[in-house]
Formats: sequence, C-alpha cells, structure tokens
Amino acid sequence: MTQLSNALQGIISPEMAQVAAREGVTPEFIRQGVAEGTIVIPHNIQRRNIVPTGIGTGLKTKVSASIGLYGDKGSIAVEFAKIKSAVEAGTDSIMDLSVSGDIDTMRRQSLVATTTPLGTLPYYQAVAEASKKYGSSVKMTVDELFEVIERQAADGVDFLALHCGTTMSIVERAKQEGRVDPLVSYGGSHLIGWMLYNQQENPLYEYYDRILDIARKYDVTISIADGMRPGCLADSLDGAQVQELVVIGELVRRAREAGVQVMVKGPGHVPLNQLKATVTLQKSLCKGAPYFVFGPVVTDIAAGYDHISAAIGGAISAWAGADFICYVTASEHIGLPDIEQVREGVVAARIAGHAADLAKGLPGAAEWDFNLSRARKDLDWKKQIALAIDPQRAEYMRKTRSDDTVTGCAMCGKYCAMEVVSKYLGVSKLSC
Amino acid sequence: MTQILAARAGKITPEMELVAARENVDVKFILEGIASGKIVIPRNIKRKEFNYCGIGQGLRIKVNALIGTSSDIEDIGMEERKLVFVEEAGCDALMDLSTGGDIDGMRRLTLEKANIAVGSVPIYQAAIEAIERRGSIVGMTEEDMFKAVEKQAADGVDFMAIHSALNFDVIKRLQTMGRVTDVVSRGGAFLTGWMLHNNKENPLYEKFDRLLEILKKYDVTLSLGDAIRPGCTADSLDGAQIQGLIVAGELVARAQAAGVQVMVEGPGHVPMHHVEATIQLQKRLCNGAPYFILGTLATDVAPGYDHITSAIGGAIAGAVGADFLCYVTPAEHLGLPTEEDVKEGVIAARIAAHAADLARGNRPAWERDLQMAQARTSLDLNRQISLSIDPEKTRLSLGNTNAHHHCAVCGPDCAAQIAAKYFGIA
Repeated sequence: MTQLSNALQGIISPEMAQVAAREGVTPEFIRQGVAEGTIVIPHNIQRRNIVPTGIGTGLKTKVSASIGLYGDKGSIAVEFAKIKSAVEAGTDSIMDLSVSGDIDTMRRQSLVATTTPLGTLPYYQAVAEASKKYGSSVKMTVDELFEVIERQAADGVDFLALHCGTTMSIVERAKQEGRVDPLVSYGGSHLIGWMLYNQQENPLYEYYDRILDIARKYDVTISIADGMRPGCLADSLDGAQVQELVVIGELVRRAREAGVQVMVKGPGHVPLNQLKATVTLQKSLCKGAPYFVFGPVVTDIAAGYDHISAAIGGAISAWAGADFICYVTASEHIGLPDIEQVREGVVAARIAGHAADLAKGLPGAAEWDFNLSRARKDLDWKKQIALAIDPQRAEYMRKTRSDDTVTGCAMCGKYCAMEVVSKYLGVSKLSC
Repeated sequence: MTQILAARAGKITPEMELVAARENVDVKFILEGIASGKIVIPRNIKRKEFNYCGIGQGLRIKVNALIGTSSDIEDIGMEERKLVFVEEAGCDALMDLSTGGDIDGMRRLTLEKANIAVGSVPIYQAAIEAIERRGSIVGMTEEDMFKAVEKQAADGVDFMAIHSALNFDVIKRLQTMGRVTDVVSRGGAFLTGWMLHNNKENPLYEKFDRLLEILKKYDVTLSLGDAIRPGCTADSLDGAQIQGLIVAGELVARAQAAGVQVMVEGPGHVPMHHVEATIQLQKRLCNGAPYFILGTLATDVAPGYDHITSAIGGAIAGAVGADFLCYVTPAEHLGLPTEEDVKEGVIAARIAAHAADLARGNRPAWERDLQMAQARTSLDLNRQISLSIDPEKTRLSLGNTNAHHHCAVCGPDCAAQIAAKYFGIA
C-alpha cells in the first residue's frame, strides 16, 4: 500500500498524521493533498528511522541538500560530515548523488545515518557500473539500468530522480532550436549519449511502467528529473524545456493512476521575470504535482555566489508555488562544496523558503518574524540569537562584530535607534 | 546651475554626457529624465571629477555601499580599505556614515579617495556634536542641523540623506497605530526624540526651503531619508510608513520645483508580497523620483545572512522599478561589518541589481549572461573567470578544473561526450 493508495481509500496513515502534526494542519488536509497528488510523503516502506516529511501545496516550503562521492578523491567520511552539517543547518531532505566509488555503501550508510527522507539518482550508479564493466556507459543494457533502480529502491531510498521525460523527439528539438547549453544535467547528458549511441528511445520513458511497478512496491516517490532544464538564462522556457514538461505532465498522470507518488524536478537557470510563468506552467501541466526546483539561479554570472542567486530564484519560485528547493552552494559551477558551503547553501535555501512562506501567508511564518523583531526591539540578544535561522552564526557574528556586553550593537554604538526612540516615545521596551 | 535646471534649460552637461555613454543611451534620454525628475546624477559642484552615475528610470540599477566609523569601532584605516574595496567591487556610490572619531576627517578623506558618488547623513554629525557640546541629542539646535548640512555640502558631498519627511502627523500616526519596532532609522530616531522632547516640529521639514537653498547652491542631490521605514515585516505598509511617503511626495514636488535633484529612500523590512505595492506607491506619490532602497529584507529571521534576505528583496524591488539598492551586509543587526562582510554585501547587492536588470530587459546585462553561458558550453575557463561577478574567487576555484565534457568516471567513449558531439559542442 502506498501513501497515495491509502489516501485514495480515505485512510489516514501514521505518516500522514505525523506530517499533519508537524505542519500544524489537520490529518484530513494531508490525506486529501496526498490523494489529489498535490502533496507527497517520500517514505520507502523499507526505511526504518525516518521522520515523515510532507512536500506540497499548503505546507512549509522544504529544502534538500545534495552530497555524494565524486571523482577519485571522494570519501564517505567527508560526505558524512557534509550530511551532518546540512542536517544541523536544518535541511528537510538529503540527496545522495554519488557518481563514483563505493556507491552502494555510501547510500546504505546514509539511509541509516539520517532521519530525513533520502533521495538518489540511480542513473549515476548505472553509468558508473556500466563504465566499469564495458569501459563505457553507452553499452549498458536496459535490464542493468532497471536492476540498479530496483536495488536502490529495495535499500529504502525514499525518492528517486529519473529522467523519464527526456525523449528522442525532445533531444532533436533541442538541437534544432540551437540551445546555448544543451547538456546541463549530468544524468541527462549521459542518458542522451546512450540514446544517440544506441539509436533507441529513452528506456526510462519507454519502460516507464517498469519504474512504476518498482516504485509502487516500495512506495518510492518518483521525482521526474528534467534532462532539458535550462542551464543558462537564454535557454529558459525554450521549446525543449516546455515540450519535456508536457511529456512529464503525462507521466505524472500515469504515476498517479498506478498509485505512485510523484513530484517534478525543475530548473535551473531562470530570469527573474520568468519564474512565475515557469511554476505556473508546471502546476498546470502536471496537475498540481509538487515542484522540486534546483535554485533556480537568476543570473549566469554569479559564480562563487550562486547560493545567493539561487536564494532569489528559490524565494520567488516558492512564493509562486514551488514546494521543494534543492539547495545550490557557493561552489556551484566552479567546484565541489566544502562543509561550510553546504551549511550556507542549506541556510540560503531555508531563507528563500521562509520568505516565500511569509509572502504566501502560511500560518506560523509571520509569527516567527514577529517574535524575532520583538526581541530585536527589546534588545534581547539571547532571544534574537535563539530565534535566528542559524543561531550559531548569529551568535558568532554578534561576538566578533560587536562588543557583546553592551545593550546595542557596534553598528550604531551609543546611538542605538531602538534605545533613543523607546525613551522618547515613552514606551517601555517590553510593552511595544 | 544644478543638473536639473540645466536639463530644463535644454543644456547638456558633461555629467549627462558621461552617464549617457556609460549607459549606452542617447544623451537626450538622460536630459529628459533629469528634467522630469526621474533621473538624478549626484555630483556636488565642489567635488572633483569622478565616475558619475545616473540613477533612475531606464538606467542600469545602481548599488550603494555604506562605510564609516562608529562610536565603538573607529578604525579609519579599516574604513579606508573598505572604501577602496567597494569601488573595486563595482559599487556605483558609497555613503560615509561615520559617527565616531574624526568625522570631518573621515568625510574629507572619503571625498578625496573615492572616484564614485559620495553620500552622507548630516544629522549624525549634528547629533553627535550636540552630545559633545550640549550634553544630549535633544539639546541640538536648528542651527546645528543646518550648519552640518552646509559644512558637508561645502566639502563636496554629492548626495545627502535628510529626514525631512518626518513630522508630527507621521509621529502621531505611529503612536496611534502602534508598531512592533517603532523607528529603526537612526536619523529618524534622533529627530523623533528631538521633536518629542522639545515639542517642536522637525526643522528639516518646517524649514525645508532653507534646506533646499543650501542643496541648490552646491547641487547636492537630496535623498529624502526614510525615517519611518518598517524595521520588521509586520510593520511594512502601515499607516505611519504611508503617511511618511505622502509627506515625501510633497517634498519631492517642492525640491523639483526649486531645481534641486531629489530621490527617495525606502525600506527596510518588506515581505515579498508587499514589494511591488511599495514601489508603485512610491513612484506614484513621488512623481517618479528615483527610489533608493535599503534591502529590501524579505524576512526578519536571518541575522548573519541579511545580505541574502536583501538580495531577495532587492532583486524583486529592482525588477518592479526600484532604481538604487543600498547594500546590506551579513553583519546587519549584529554589529559593524568587517571588510569581508562588506565584500559579501557588495556582491549580493550587485547580484540582485543584475538579476533585476535582466528582468527589466537590460541589453548589456543579457549580453553578459549569454557570453557566460557560451563560455561554459565551450569550456572556456578564462572567459568564465573574467565574466563572473567576482573573477578572483572564480579563478581560485576553477584553476584546477579539467576542461572536458566527460567526467572522472568514463573513458573516451563517454556518453556525455557523444551527446556533446551531437549538439556540436564537443
């Protein structure tokens, strides 16, 4: 029984009840959202130690951090330190995107070590194994690909990113219309290479029902990845991207009919004035399925600071209806993130999510702002730091940028606006 | 003759020409924008020649940095290093907000060293000198206020934040309606305290014509200080803020009529769904005068990351019409920024401004992004470095990257390489 089939039968599962309690909504609200497909609860039936998390309409915007083994220097210990850092920084989910090394061990240990939902992108492992076996991933057989998918599902992975919508006709369109950057997604690029080499349709599309069978068996949520996500502003909302989204919309419908929970991955690089249209289009074509956006970054030139560019895009997208933000770190486009960049990436994405929740009027969001601002007015530093989105950093900065024994801060020094006005407005600091 | 009077007389100034060239627009566009008050070029007639910037409708969004000593940290050397840095990092203007140590010396040093527009907030100096001479801020006299303005104008300050749009109507509304964080503008707080203590109207409002005389004499651009800006998202778009904006609109009309260049300062803490309304209201009430915003911060809950909350708000605000973004550093709400904080603040504000320029269809902005995308596709690392917002940082990271489409996993028969060949980018 998947969460979706339960919901359709009117059953409120324990996971739905737990999600409802965490979100401060009724269990029936969650059940209805899951039944309609506007909410997913990624929770593999094999997974033991998970805190159920709901993603979708009417819920707090969620954040995911990606880690994984990469290249010859990858180490499980380092990636575990990143997971720890991401979890401490408040991520709602982890994706293990290992592309090399001992991918099985990395995944299995991650599933044990974390309590958040865990996602993977099985095509990476399939590429790695086929490369090892044949010297090139283009020789991979369809059965080998599905064996990896099943193996990851059986291990307990809660959501699987799969490029099911990247069909041959979309690849051809991308070529015809002269995309600036046709190969952005790592998995998508390798998949396209396989399709071209073998002159075969995308197996994840052609044998989609096989994926649905596996997903239903373990209640894996499928996250349909966009092989044609725009990799630069100039490619945003081009024919290839939009055509893929049309196909994905059809695949969403088929997943739901099969009782499989489904969400959709999104861009990428999107100019600020196209964010709302992008989200609206996804919501319309995919019938309200949760939208899992990667950033989006709002300019191509912010290398080294793409967590900031992504916070802008993520905030506006989530405000427009995106549900789940995949973090982008400061090292995006220029290298692999270190532990500190992982932390910053998570916080930047959480800021974006909260700004959106505030703009959408989500219950509780304004209260958080209000409580912190009241503490600020009261010059109650302990409370300000406790309420800060990253208390550790707030405390460190207060200590290093101010003399933290004074009531105000070093910005205004003796001339604190809060103090001056409280005195002359005749309001005691606690009554405002 | 001020820029605005020259523009109205149909006279093209060297400043207009330079701005037109830098923006790649016809100088007539600049002239008409200045004449109608929709564009300003801050440039005090006493100031040396420098890289003037035009601020306003139809132009690239500009970024301002804040530097200056405080009573707790008065390290002029550090401020001087910040000054050099913000200019290198691409700021279009900076404000010296010094309140500690040798305030005159710091300002004169700034005006000498900087090659971009320099702003100040004269009420800070007036208030601090009042404490020294008269024992308290509320002991400050009207003369003290105007003398500070005149002294700073004579030194060559190009634009001044002056809180004239604060009067008893605004304060009464604030008292009646109640606010979570009351007044968070420091200048606004000084004046509110002064007005309530002395039970006298704000001289910068009441004697606004006297102020305009000084500003006109030196062609100082008036930046109407946002004394009543919301200091938390809960206070955004409340009655006091709107009342202040209505008063600002009246003063904009008077400044423009008097031949004084004028822009308006804005918030502050604004939830995303209030940003567009905030900008539209300012544009409507203030006759299209340039809007100079501090942030805007999209949430209150991220001390330590307010350069990011501001980048979110600033990008949206810029996309819907704000003209000038004041940076916010990660140290905001916590202390005085270090040089590293200043750098983060400048870059974040520039990203926001650029994202907004793109959204507004600014052609050079789109051209730069396209070039970056092409450099990425062709794996041209040197061009990626030079096109990135912080080339030095990009260089440090990209230095040891291998430039090929396949990854560490595959050999020569790499699938991604096959795909790249198909698209003609291998």
